[in-house]
Amino acid sequence: MSTSDRGAPPARSPNPPRQSPPLLEIEELRVTFGRTAAVRGASFSLEKGETHCVVGESGCGKSVTALAVMGLLARGARREAARLEFAGQDLRALSERQLSALRGDRMAMIFQEPMTSLNPAYTVGSQMAEVFTRHRGGSRRAALDRAADLLARVGITAPGMRLGQFPHQLSGGLRQRVMIAMALMCDPELLIADEPTTALDVTVQAQILRLLAELQRDLGLGILLITHDLGIVARIADRVSVMYAGEVVESAPTAALFAAPSHPYTRGLLACVPVPGKVKREEALGSIPGMVPRIPPGFTGCAFRDRCDHAAPECAGAVPRQQAGAHEVLCRLPPGWAA
Amino acid sequence: MTPAIEVRGLCRSFRQRGGLLGQDRTVVAVDDVSFTLAGGGVLGVVGESGCGKSTLARIILGLLPPTAGEVLVEGRRLAAMDRRARARLIQPVFQDPFASLNPRRRIRDIVAMPLVAQGDIPARQVADRAAEMLARVGLSAEQAERYPAQLSGGQRQRVAIARALVLRPRIVICDEPTSALDVSVQAQILNLLAELRRELNLTYLFISHNLAVVEHVATEVAVMYLGRIVERATADALFRAPQHPYTKALLASVLTPEPGLGVPDVGLGETLPDPANIPPACRFHPRCPVAEPRCATTTPHAIMTAGGAAECLLLEGAGKP
Repeated sequence: MSTSDRGAPPARSPNPPRQSPPLLEIEELRVTFGRTAAVRGASFSLEKGETHCVVGESGCGKSVTALAVMGLLARGARREAARLEFAGQDLRALSERQLSALRGDRMAMIFQEPMTSLNPAYTVGSQMAEVFTRHRGGSRRAALDRAADLLARVGITAPGMRLGQFPHQLSGGLRQRVMIAMALMCDPELLIADEPTTALDVTVQAQILRLLAELQRDLGLGILLITHDLGIVARIADRVSVMYAGEVVESAPTAALFAAPSHPYTRGLLACVPVPGKVKREEALGSIPGMVPRIPPGFTGCAFRDRCDHAAPECAGAVPRQQAGAHEVLCRLPPGWAA
Repeated sequence: MTPAIEVRGLCRSFRQRGGLLGQDRTVVAVDDVSFTLAGGGVLGVVGESGCGKSTLARIILGLLPPTAGEVLVEGRRLAAMDRRARARLIQPVFQDPFASLNPRRRIRDIVAMPLVAQGDIPARQVADRAAEMLARVGLSAEQAERYPAQLSGGQRQRVAIARALVLRPRIVICDEPTSALDVSVQAQILNLLAELRRELNLTYLFISHNLAVVEHVATEVAVMYLGRIVERATADALFRAPQHPYTKALLASVLTPEPGLGVPDVGLGETLPDPANIPPACRFHPRCPVAEPRCATTTPHAIMTAGGAAECLLLEGAGKP
């Protein structure tokens, strides 16, 4: 494996000094599109070298949260937050130009379908080089060398040949590797990955996720990974935030979340997933009745109450955010109710 | 007892145009596939994209003629049946119900269509049977009056299931029926399919890339690689003791929600299978983590295993893995 020509940052220490600000800190993020509240007061933070998974079903606001951080929301969306900081820098205070200098440079994003973010008319090499020369300047030759190094780094053989190819000439797994290599061109500190392996075969998915974990270890990347797949969460996350209808309903270190899932929605989701060897064949899977509702601005109470087995009249009122150590749950049920 | 489905020596290849300068290529999608499936069973078909599983489904549905070989459904040759007879025996449920439901028709009309197409069912009976089936899959009379775009993904998949079952077929071919759905909705649909199978004594061919789902629903599993079934076994045997190195790699790739295990190294390398360029001898050998020199020169034959059969040279005689 080749290392980057700019030198890999030192491996992260097991206990990062707490005085530096978190890599990403979000407090009370709200995004509304007209009559729909897509994100309703989401808060979480991400440290350098950490993988934070945001998990939930379609329509829960996880992708909108990512786009809001990157400043890539569609026109007509309203974004508010009590705090929205990247490495101590207030993202809300940046101009579009400053933000765009940050994107692709210190913070990068990869999407589910690489074909939507790769330009079909340009070769892999010219797209990768463009990212680098735009942010860092230098010669095209140097940028192409770096691109070749990174393609090798993400496990692509014959990187020189790949640089001259167009996106449609690559398989889905290769395109996703190219996307990752492109995201790494400027040594980002934060990588936001939105369902990066959902369109891939399980075999390729495992390879891509191993690659991300390896890159994180070597480069000290902070990864915000958005997924609907609890299997991925369990295997790669340090910390998990479960989103439902625009809110973080439960957040905990991964081991704690799976050991003691506490929000009825988290428990319901886990019961829906067939696990080989755990769920008997003739037994029905757990399921959650109904579907994710569309929430209008000004909605009060627990958004899950219509689908919840434990709903009570008070669930229509304010919902307490309960905290036990690093484990947070947005629910009126007492901690440990499910034990 | 006559098997519900019997497939003998099925082959299907396609010509792929090479474009302006390129040469035409022959893509072998299904290569000499044979199996039988007993009535009431669920055969899970798994494999990566391009392994031929969807082509196999389309051939068994009669939507695509095979290049060679034949399909027998309840002992009768599929090729000799007319469309109406075939529709009474075998029906599909596809991945994306939105693409397979006519957006301009009401749900009740969509579900009634297979009955109308039979041509000899009185209108009154058509309406009653469609309504009954819609109720059975959990859709209300009010939802029956709507159009596909007004339903959620899970509700549309219920419509597709009702349409597939309204003729009371014996066999349902499910091609990735829950892949486009959220997990909570996926569980609802899988539970519904399981209930219907028991109640109506159906036989399923269940195609999925999700091995955890297949493990949950299937009684038998066929693992396809580049057009061939490389391992076939009862679901219990296959998931407990996979024999073929490809099956092992596939199972190792499944990320179950168990923290602390990390992401496994499946050892398959970067090369991906190309159905237009199938390797000689054992077609899996370029990716196989335990391949030996002979795997590149000798074609493996099916070897009996504890719960079925697998095509791997390492299972033959000495060099047992």
